[in-house]
Amino acid sequence: MTNFEDYRAPEEISRWRTFALGIGGLLSIIILVIAVIFPEQREQALRSWLLGFIFWGGIGIGCLGVLILQYLTGGAWGVVSRRILEAGSRTIPILFVLFLPIMAGVTYAYEWTHLMDLPVVVHRQPYLSVEWWIFRAVLYFILWYLMAYFLNKWSAQQDQAKDFDQAAKLLADSSKFSGPTMVFFVLVVSFAAIDWVMTLDPHWFSTMYGFLFTAGWGLSCFCFVVANLAFLANKAPLNRIIGKRHFHDLGKLMLALTMVWAYFNFSQFLIIWSGNLPEETTWYLSRLKGGWGVVGAILILFHFAFPFLVLLTRDVKMRAKWLASLAVFILVLRLVDMFYLISPNPRISTHGKSLELWASFSWMDIAAPLAVGGIWLWFYFGELMKRPLVPVNDPYLGNAIEHGKGH
Amino acid sequence: MDRKIYGLLAEFDTATQVVDAARKIREAGYKKTDAFSPFPIHEMDEALGIRRSILPYLVFAGGVAGLLTGLGLQWFVHVYDYPIIVGGRPYFSLPSFIPPAFELTILFAGFAAVFGMLFLNGLPQPYHPVFNVPRFALATREKFFLLIETKDPKFDYEETKRFMHSLSPQEVFDVEE
Repeated sequence: MTNFEDYRAPEEISRWRTFALGIGGLLSIIILVIAVIFPEQREQALRSWLLGFIFWGGIGIGCLGVLILQYLTGGAWGVVSRRILEAGSRTIPILFVLFLPIMAGVTYAYEWTHLMDLPVVVHRQPYLSVEWWIFRAVLYFILWYLMAYFLNKWSAQQDQAKDFDQAAKLLADSSKFSGPTMVFFVLVVSFAAIDWVMTLDPHWFSTMYGFLFTAGWGLSCFCFVVANLAFLANKAPLNRIIGKRHFHDLGKLMLALTMVWAYFNFSQFLIIWSGNLPEETTWYLSRLKGGWGVVGAILILFHFAFPFLVLLTRDVKMRAKWLASLAVFILVLRLVDMFYLISPNPRISTHGKSLELWASFSWMDIAAPLAVGGIWLWFYFGELMKRPLVPVNDPYLGNAIEHGKGH
Repeated sequence: MDRKIYGLLAEFDTATQVVDAARKIREAGYKKTDAFSPFPIHEMDEALGIRRSILPYLVFAGGVAGLLTGLGLQWFVHVYDYPIIVGGRPYFSLPSFIPPAFELTILFAGFAAVFGMLFLNGLPQPYHPVFNVPRFALATREKFFLLIETKDPKFDYEETKRFMHSLSPQEVFDVEE
């Protein structure tokens, strides 16, 4: 039988884990204390916490989505990154804990909770009420948890499989489960994105919103996987498994999702720009005036144009270090993108006005993502260390290793 | 010799053998070579010393040409030749020009990929001498072939034939023009 010790994650991860928890825990306590002591800081603290949650939660939930995806598509990239995706998908419980402050402070973060007389909010009753909003949030987490639970359970059983047939059957079961689950996953992500981010502006709506997050979180996940694999690729055990062509394939998927992200964003913009209706254009106007236009230009240039052109070349996709550097660069831009979506929304403290870029920016917009990220990474690394770093009994593992070796 | 020879063709049973033989052919200094197999062998490019195709650059150039054509066409129509106000938008309204420009980018890049590939491969090619070897039909089924053309500067019928036999092939054929 397979020797699991051969595929254990390298020990130095546990040092990273402690470090992440130290930073995350310290900053979380600082932000929490500030939010409790100073009521006027609560809105900003929660907005920043939401920013951090949507960014890191996007990676964790994105891992669940890509885990479902790779069971449907097959391919070597899915086999070698499956354990990273599984560890990411098992962070749903900690994401729920990290979401609790937002749930508790929903009346401090969302303007609509104070606008129950506003016609657009009245029209959306009882859907857009605090009770139903919390109920739905819990429901989303339960659904995500169940999806992650079954896929992780079968994958763990596959590690213990006695023979090839049993391992192949478990893989087939996961694939069958993934088909319909994919539909529900995208629906749940759409509803969550609308509930958690779009309702920050109670007047505005976009039917493209769910896809923006599906594509964006997928891109976050691929960048995260590439960064992880590049970090693990020159250490035992993955140095025997990961090859150039795995990075090549993951790089192609990064390119695809970079383009999809731009495509969805532009689709939303083009429709609103062409329609030119006051109820829709306000959202873009508040993101073009007051310095926000610069952030938008940075996103077009560095979230799309630069990664797109760089990822067209094969050399970058094949070199782990280059691709991982680009992946981290895109992840930073993902955070800027989330900041651009969240921060210019109307605030309670300004009676529904959007703030200019510099008035809106707070030190907590950096501290909260670090706080959430520290705690999330601590949990993620813990999950990553629990299982062998490759699905040892997967029927396609041999093919996947062979595939990576090409030049 | 009364018949014209195009080259020498060696037949192999497995992909490993053909790649090893291809390496030896390159090490021996032959340049005008080719390999045939029923499925793609990734190591073959490196074994025969085949350089990377310029096709990606052609595709990129095609894409850029498509983008400029798309934007240029719309500028010509909407700004220069027949300016007309649509929906209160400016004559040059970039956001609404992007979808057609994007489509032309894809179209021209696709054309560059297909026709560039055909051109670089020298296709369509109704006649190729290797088909004069009856067993060459097996290249689409189970056998692997290596070819050294007479055009190669190092080619010498007797010596090259002896060299190819030294690669332990199943058989070495003369390919007639």
